[in-house]
Amino acid sequence: MFKETPANNETETIIGPSVKIEGDFITEGNIIVEGMVCGTIKTSRDLRVGSKSKIFANVSAENVLIAGEVQGNIRVKEKLELTSTAKIYGDIKTNILIIASGSVLNGKCQMGDGKNKTPKPNFSKQEKIELKARPAATDEDEELESMIKTETKSPRAKT
Amino acid sequence: MYYYIYDSFLNDKKYHSLLAKIENRLTDLGINGKINHLSFLKNIQQILAEEIRRGVKTVVVVGSDKTLGQIINLIMDLNVVIGYIPIHSECIAGLLNIPQGEHACDVLSARIVKRIDLGKVNNYYFIGAIETGGQKLTFECDGNYIINLTNKDNIINIGNLNYQHGIFASPNDECLDLFIENTEKKFLIKKKATLSHLTFKKIRLSAEKPMPILLMDEKKILKTPVEIKVQPKKLRMIVGRGSL
Repeated sequence: MFKETPANNETETIIGPSVKIEGDFITEGNIIVEGMVCGTIKTSRDLRVGSKSKIFANVSAENVLIAGEVQGNIRVKEKLELTSTAKIYGDIKTNILIIASGSVLNGKCQMGDGKNKTPKPNFSKQEKIELKARPAATDEDEELESMIKTETKSPRAKT
Repeated sequence: MYYYIYDSFLNDKKYHSLLAKIENRLTDLGINGKINHLSFLKNIQQILAEEIRRGVKTVVVVGSDKTLGQIINLIMDLNVVIGYIPIHSECIAGLLNIPQGEHACDVLSARIVKRIDLGKVNNYYFIGAIETGGQKLTFECDGNYIINLTNKDNIINIGNLNYQHGIFASPNDECLDLFIENTEKKFLIKKKATLSHLTFKKIRLSAEKPMPILLMDEKKILKTPVEIKVQPKKLRMIVGRGSL
């Protein structure tokens, strides 16, 4: 009926809407939050936050789907998905981010797996741009300039 | 060497034919042994200790889950393997793949011994589950977090070997399973039940007022506050093929 396998990791922790948890909630399995959690949530697997749930905690998980309210920093190893009802007040760090229209995100966002860092522009090493000196004006140019000046002045003279 | 403990309800005439079938089957399989009937007048713990000193290695409980729960508390300090012959269809027997009646003799004969976890509530061991209800309950889990239940109409089930809401509480995962079922009752509105499920090793359950806690195995009632913890691999039990 049930085998001696490490199936413990597959067990889901469900925090129902009638439950309020205070403290450090650390597990190895998947977590579904429909109630309220204050403190810390940490799991090596997935986390799903229901639309009516409220979390006042720092969150750390493999993959996270948020439909409720989270006040705290979120650290996700792989994918963070925010549905249209999600509200986040805190910084997020994730590899992949999906944001639905209507969701609220107030905080800093850092993306990528951290391996391929984008090079920062270093202005101190940039080569100086030499501005070319203006060539000396020739006689033809002077004549052209005088012609333009006379043409522009002539309509005023007629009036 | 096998030692059989019969529950007191088996003294009833209607069970005589069934017991005769069981005893015949045990003799056929060559695993028959001394039989003792439970009664108020006997000190079973003392009798068991004497029999184990004489060389009994396996104690077989013949009766119900309640009988098994009682005997487990008596043999915890004695180094024996426990077997089980359920007379009726029982919850624990079903989860351990032990058929009822004389068919359970074949499971005993196959002798698949597994070490399984037990739950301990204050000083009582339990193999199945405990149940309580009420509101304004506080659970302190593993010393890390606190669960507060403020709503009314909660049914709390803490299981070691149990099957609740499609989730198995396995007795070899070295933790207990906490199920909290809350039913919102509103006038003229359909009831809506919500479920919470958590696992833990140690929990302290307290309430504003002393609440009764029912040990499902023994049908015994304790009162809050209580400390419930898992006792990993505490019991050696003969189980059915394919279980655990």
